[in-house]
Amino acid sequence: MRDFALWLATTSPSVFIQEHNAWTIPAIQSIHIAGIALVMGSVLMIDLRILGLTWTDQTLQQTTRRFGPWLTGSLWLLLATGLLMIVGEPVRELVTFSFWLKMALVAAGALVAVTFQRALRRHERRWEDDLVHRAPIKALAVFTFLIWVCIIVLGRLIAYDHVWGSWSPAS
Amino acid sequence: MEIAPLLEWLQQTALAVQIRDSLYIFPLLEAAHVVGLALVVGTVAIVDLRLLGLASSGRPFSRLAVDTLKWTLAAFLLTAVTGGLMFITNAAVYFDNTYFRAKVVLLVLAALNAVVFELTARRTVAGWDQAPSAPPLARAVASLSLVIWIGVIVAGRMIGFTATRAAATAPAPVDTSFEDLLGLPAAGDPAQPAGKSPE
Repeated sequence: MRDFALWLATTSPSVFIQEHNAWTIPAIQSIHIAGIALVMGSVLMIDLRILGLTWTDQTLQQTTRRFGPWLTGSLWLLLATGLLMIVGEPVRELVTFSFWLKMALVAAGALVAVTFQRALRRHERRWEDDLVHRAPIKALAVFTFLIWVCIIVLGRLIAYDHVWGSWSPAS
Repeated sequence: MEIAPLLEWLQQTALAVQIRDSLYIFPLLEAAHVVGLALVVGTVAIVDLRLLGLASSGRPFSRLAVDTLKWTLAAFLLTAVTGGLMFITNAAVYFDNTYFRAKVVLLVLAALNAVVFELTARRTVAGWDQAPSAPPLARAVASLSLVIWIGVIVAGRMIGFTATRAAATAPAPVDTSFEDLLGLPAAGDPAQPAGKSPE
C-alpha cells in the first residue's frame, strides 16, 4: 500500500493537487464536509422518523422519498471528493489505520442505506404498518446514525493517526 | 478593553492545559465539532431548500421548521462547546487568525439573517405555509443562509491550516514522513504532528 501510495503521489493529477495545495486541499475538504452535512441531515431525519420523533405527519415512505435521493447523491459527492483527497495526498490517507476503518464503516453505512431504501420500496405496507414500530428496527436506526458519527470521527482522525498507537501503520 | 490578558488567562486555565497535554482530547473535540457542524448545516439546509421550493415543497413550512429547529439548536450547542474548548487551548493565536475572525463574522451574519426572517416572512407564514416556495424575501434569506454556512465550513477548515496548535506535548517523531522522503510539499494539517516543530 505504501508503494502504491508513493506511486500515486507521482502521477500528474496528484502532482497538480500538491502543487496547488494552498487552495485545492481546503476546497476539496470543504466540499467533502458540505456533503457530509447533507448526509447527516438526511440520515438524522430518516432515523428520527423511524423513532417517531420527526416528520410524523408523513409516512416512512414519504420521508424516505424526500431524503433518500439526497443521501445517495451526497454519498456520490463524498466518493468523488474523497477520491480527489486520496489522489492529492495518497500517503496521508492510505497509510493510516483511521482511513481503512473509516472505509469499512462507509461500506456498512452505504449498504444499510441502499438495503433499507430497497426493502422499503418492495414491502411498503409491511414497513409502515409493522416494521417501523418494532424495537429492533428502532435500535437499528440509532445504530446506523452512530455508524455515520463514527465515520466523521475517523475521517478527522486521519490527520491524527498517532492516536491509534502501534495500530497506525505510520508508527 | 484589553483582550490580551483575557486570552492569556484562558489558555492558562487548568482545562486548557489539560486539553493541550492530551494526545486524544483535541482530535476528539475536532471530530465532535465536525459532527455538530454537519448536523447544523444539514438541518439548516433542509429548511432553506424548503423555502426555496427545491425540496419538501409539498409539506407545510411551519411543520418542517418545528421538526428541524430543535435538532439544529442541539447540534449548534455541541459545535459551540467543542469550538470553545478548542479555542481556549490557543486563544491568542485563534483570536488573531483571519479565518477565525471571518468565521465569527459569518456566524453573526447567520444569526442576523435568521432574525430578518423572523421579523419579516415568518410573520406572514400563514399566507404561504402550504405554497411550494416562500415569498421572495424568504427565498433571499434562504439563499444567503446556504452561502453563509458554506462560508463557515470553508473558514473553519482554513483555521486548521493556518493556526498552528501550540502542542505542549507533541508526540515524538516516530518515523520520517513520506512527504519528506519524496521532497513533496507537506499538505497535511499543520495541526498534525508531522515530526516537525510548528513554524
